Amino acid sequence: MSSQSPFVKTRKPGERIFCFLMIVGSVYLFWQSYAIAGFSSFSSPGAFPLAASATMVLASCITFLNTLKLPAAENVRFVYHCFPPIVAIVMALILIYSVVLESLGFVLSSFAFLFVSIQFLYRRNVLTTLAISLLAMVIVYIIFRLIFQVVLPEGIVPEREILSSIKSLWR
Amino acid sequence: MDALHYFAMSWLSPELLGLTALGTFLGIYVGAIPGLSVTMAVSILISFTFAWDVNYALCLMVGVYMGGVYGGSRTAILLNIPGAPSAIATALDGYPLAKKGLAGEAIGLSTIMSVVGGFVGIVVLALAAPTVSEFAITFQPRDYMMLGILGIMLVGSLSGGSLARGIFAGALGLLIGTVGLDPMTAEERFTFGVVELWDGINPVAVMIGMFGISEALHQLHHMNKAVVKQKISRIIPKWSDIKKYMPLSLQTSFIGVIVGALPGTGGDIAALMAYDHAKRVTKNPEVPFGEGAKEGLIAPEAANNAAVGGAYIPMLTLGIPGDAVTAVFIGALFIHGLNPGPLLLIEQPHMFWFTVGNLTLANIFVLIFGLTGIKMFSKIVECPKGILIPLIFLLSIVGAYAINNAITDIWWMLAFGVFGYFMRLYGFPVGPVILGVILSSLTDENWRRAILSERGSISDLFINVFHSPLSTILFSVIVLILFTQSPIWTRWLKRKLFHETA
Repeated sequence: MSSQSPFVKTRKPGERIFCFLMIVGSVYLFWQSYAIAGFSSFSSPGAFPLAASATMVLASCITFLNTLKLPAAENVRFVYHCFPPIVAIVMALILIYSVVLESLGFVLSSFAFLFVSIQFLYRRNVLTTLAISLLAMVIVYIIFRLIFQVVLPEGIVPEREILSSIKSLWR
Repeated sequence: MDALHYFAMSWLSPELLGLTALGTFLGIYVGAIPGLSVTMAVSILISFTFAWDVNYALCLMVGVYMGGVYGGSRTAILLNIPGAPSAIATALDGYPLAKKGLAGEAIGLSTIMSVVGGFVGIVVLALAAPTVSEFAITFQPRDYMMLGILGIMLVGSLSGGSLARGIFAGALGLLIGTVGLDPMTAEERFTFGVVELWDGINPVAVMIGMFGISEALHQLHHMNKAVVKQKISRIIPKWSDIKKYMPLSLQTSFIGVIVGALPGTGGDIAALMAYDHAKRVTKNPEVPFGEGAKEGLIAPEAANNAAVGGAYIPMLTLGIPGDAVTAVFIGALFIHGLNPGPLLLIEQPHMFWFTVGNLTLANIFVLIFGLTGIKMFSKIVECPKGILIPLIFLLSIVGAYAINNAITDIWWMLAFGVFGYFMRLYGFPVGPVILGVILSSLTDENWRRAILSERGSISDLFINVFHSPLSTILFSVIVLILFTQSPIWTRWLKRKLFHETA
């Protein structure tokens, strides 16, 4: 996954800040581990978390010091190469989707999510996107809801009533 | 006799047979489509199958694992894009073969050799696991603790990033695993007074976040990559070729099993080492390596499939995962109420033989699906990312929800997804995090058992390490990795492997 070459080591924009944040986080976790049982004994519930978080503090400090030595990568900008708008927008879409999942229900929210994100990423005309997302929804619904029997939030769509009325048609 | 009965269980039941076939089929596609990984697929599958009978769930997941390791080779040959990390070495000679118009033959040969490798792995698993497990009963708690640490350290040091980053990731995973009520004293750890955290953070949510969401987010960087199409000729390889390359593929299969069985090293390392081995033993290749040598194609393919069987040895006998996929597998076994470890083979021998039978079956399906359906295959692999990626997000979110029907798990998954995105971006490996989460309770409990058995004295524990040969070996290996060899050794090994393979 990583695009960096194994030989020429450079530092990506934001890497120092990220590594520094890791130190801050590790120290905080170390303090929290200390709060469990202090340094009371080697077999206390806090001993293992203390050791793990101490390792994190040490490892993050080494990593941070190493990034200080590295030269910045040339022609690499945070907004383009590390956190491009496309990633931010998709993250926002996922967030909205998760927020409305329970209230709107699986069917409506997932369909809306698929439609918007496929339209945004695939960029074909609206009808094509609509057809693709409908087809995908039908397949996902059949596989996971009907075959795998996964419980999914129902929301405002009266799924069970619809399903049972379809079943009664069958009889 | 019992063993045979359990071995044949998945062969005789139509449902289990069907699920294994389905899993293998899915696995081949998941492994082949760049951007979908086996780890991702298995973690999402856990959440959907945890309510099933354990046998059904295992059949599906074993199939996906076996198929996925093989599937990566196809896109490596056809598109020069390894579908999975274990297929990186396959692309080096596979793609040049395809460019010469021999794509079909290359796929056929790699299929046969993958299956050969797979069988070698399974045979070694069946023969070695009972012995290892008998030996494992004599392990002391301190040995388990050290094995756990060793596994995380190996994954951390070999998975690409620096050792410090790998260790950081592993320790983070261990810490995530401790959240909740302490299993020994029921004391709260990192719960911040929130009752919902008493049960800890669901490892499946962490897995789906780290492997599903963060990987898919990274794929957004490469949305517009052109796909080169290849013509596919005959697929069934020549018998003379199979006979000629069999000795080499058996050799590299054994490399694969051994590397796969070491905690922390998986198919990708096995494949690179096998490629290196093939280069050294092939004195006069018909075609130079890197330009379409068949030796360079079959060696990594046999090795990475053999590594599957190898990886099962520490997983089933010690409860210690060999790599990220087996870590996810152990998570799945726990969810189904099984306890992988030395007692698994004694208390539930049927589970072991069932798994062996299942792997064998999946391997046969690799052969069947591998030699058929290539036309359809090249259509599906060309599925545009603009459609694929939204679907991965959808499945990840639904999967996270399905574990406990709790929206909280979605939040955890998203948080780890975004965090994992930045970790990958800045060169922190995410594999050790998962390994850490899975190994956390094992390492924690064994550490405390070890120290309690020495009446709380750390110096006694330290001295007693040197009274047992096994503990001494484990301890020295850890020290060796940590202090002397690791930065120099991994740099040397990687440079050597990359230089010789590139």
